[in-house]
Amino acid sequence: MTQPNVTLRGPEVPNTPGSLDPVFTVEDLSVFYGDYEAVRNVDMMIGRREITAMIGPSGCGKSTVLRCFNRMNDLIPGAHIKGKILYHEEDLYGDHVDPIEVRRRIGMVFQKPNPFPKSIYDNVAYGPRVNGMKKNMDTVVEEALNKAALWDEVKDKLKQNALSLSGGQQQRLCIARAIAVKPEVILMDEPCSALDPIATTKIEDLMQELRQEYTILIVTHNMQQAARVSDRTAFFTADVDSAGVRHGRLVEFDQTTRIFTKPSDKRTEDYITGRFG
Amino acid sequence: MAAGHNRATAPGPNRSLARSRPRYGEAAIKVLLLAAALVSIATTLGIVAALLEPTIEFFSEVSFGEFFGSTSWGPLFSPPAFGVWPIIVATLEITLIAVIVAIPLGLAAAIYLSEYATTRVRKIFKPVLEVLAGIPTVVFGFFAFSFVTPLLQDILPFTLDPRNALSAGLLVGVMIIPIVASLSEDAMSAVPRSLREGSFALGASKMTTSVSVVLPAAFSGIVAAIILAISRAAGETMIVAIAAGFKSIFTFNPGSEMATMAAFIASAGSGDAPVGSIAYKTIFAVGSLLFIMTFAMNWFSARMVKKYREVYE
Repeated sequence: MTQPNVTLRGPEVPNTPGSLDPVFTVEDLSVFYGDYEAVRNVDMMIGRREITAMIGPSGCGKSTVLRCFNRMNDLIPGAHIKGKILYHEEDLYGDHVDPIEVRRRIGMVFQKPNPFPKSIYDNVAYGPRVNGMKKNMDTVVEEALNKAALWDEVKDKLKQNALSLSGGQQQRLCIARAIAVKPEVILMDEPCSALDPIATTKIEDLMQELRQEYTILIVTHNMQQAARVSDRTAFFTADVDSAGVRHGRLVEFDQTTRIFTKPSDKRTEDYITGRFG
Repeated sequence: MAAGHNRATAPGPNRSLARSRPRYGEAAIKVLLLAAALVSIATTLGIVAALLEPTIEFFSEVSFGEFFGSTSWGPLFSPPAFGVWPIIVATLEITLIAVIVAIPLGLAAAIYLSEYATTRVRKIFKPVLEVLAGIPTVVFGFFAFSFVTPLLQDILPFTLDPRNALSAGLLVGVMIIPIVASLSEDAMSAVPRSLREGSFALGASKMTTSVSVVLPAAFSGIVAAIILAISRAAGETMIVAIAAGFKSIFTFNPGSEMATMAAFIASAGSGDAPVGSIAYKTIFAVGSLLFIMTFAMNWFSARMVKKYREVYE
């Protein structure tokens, strides 16, 4: 059982609801930090306007893989990949690809809310400004805040420093900030891990709204969250090779209902039933 | 039950929570640390006290109106003149030139070191930069006088005195670059990585991220660095004494010789003025004024730092 079990690609698995319309196709992806191979041989597809969850124990490489989708790993010296990530048929790591352009199409929300120490307005307007937009900024900001379900709470204090907001509000502001650039995909790296249950529920509700328009990838430690919000789930774990080095790998990728009701891999079953992890 | 009894060996409910043995070391350390902190406060108070008495005596002989109301300075001449403006203008002008040099270069160096340089380059560069801060200012002074001034005299279209504010200001600027660069770099390095990632994730370039996110987030630290550098520039003595001279001329022309407040104190304090004379007291009056000016700047910087400090959790 060393081959990742990509059941999705098997013709016997019905892709209901609807068939998968891939935004990303990951082919035999391995991620390296220097010589260290952090993640090995991942194959998966990310469906358009779906929520794909990536779960697994700590150190299994799920965040590492997530950061490949907007080339965030490029910022770490020595990080590189083998294999391919296709974004609408285009090789995301092709020589002609500008990582800055990639990040304008593929937004990201981080584990800890990280608003800039600027006003709420300027936080949302930052992305559009960076991308050279100047006109109708008020409309863009309002629209983004509306989509992030934050407008009503902040419309009277747009000039206030974003750091004065609560943690949950800050995270929704970060979502608004990502939306303002009009991306196609939003990557979320454990977006609720620093939030209380009420704020978490709000973010989860928001994700359901956002999936009407955006493709969402979420890394989460919280299995219930993956089960609640996602359409498909990828389960990662870490193997220790003969030299004692840990490598993350994808164990199983399937529709979330299947992963949580009848997983085809024993390790997935052990993890979701809490026997391991 | 009295604490301290039953100090049994076994852990558990019977063992007392009282301190098992007195910690004298802690108390001694506390006193020592307090004493160390008091030394700098005591020195400051001592300086103020030492300045105060001669200054008051000075103003009993020379009026405020004459001191701040005239533009002729020559306390050691006869008849003496006590209009302080020429040396204030000289001080401000040289400080301004220094700041114009040091802020852009210092910030550029800080941005490079904090945002662009690899760890290896930074490890070499930063200590070298700090060595620059360790060069004796007399070296800068002679460099300004014997190299920079002749060079400028060749290049510039207007005449430059052999001793002039411009070369002195330029070299004071070079002297304070390490202060601006090193402290600003510290402030920028302290900006959480997550903020940079947030900016990159929105498609911002490194330059945009540095200027629009990192600089503003490090603003309070950078302001503190700049103000500290200005204070050092305003108080700098050796460079201005050698390169700008001691002649008190009321002028704004940077090509002219001019004496700063620090230069006046140095020259008058090095033996020309008999103790107790009015010239002697003038030194203290100018010293008080310089002290007040730098103190006001430091106070202002402390306020700025407080106002713009960003709290990340």
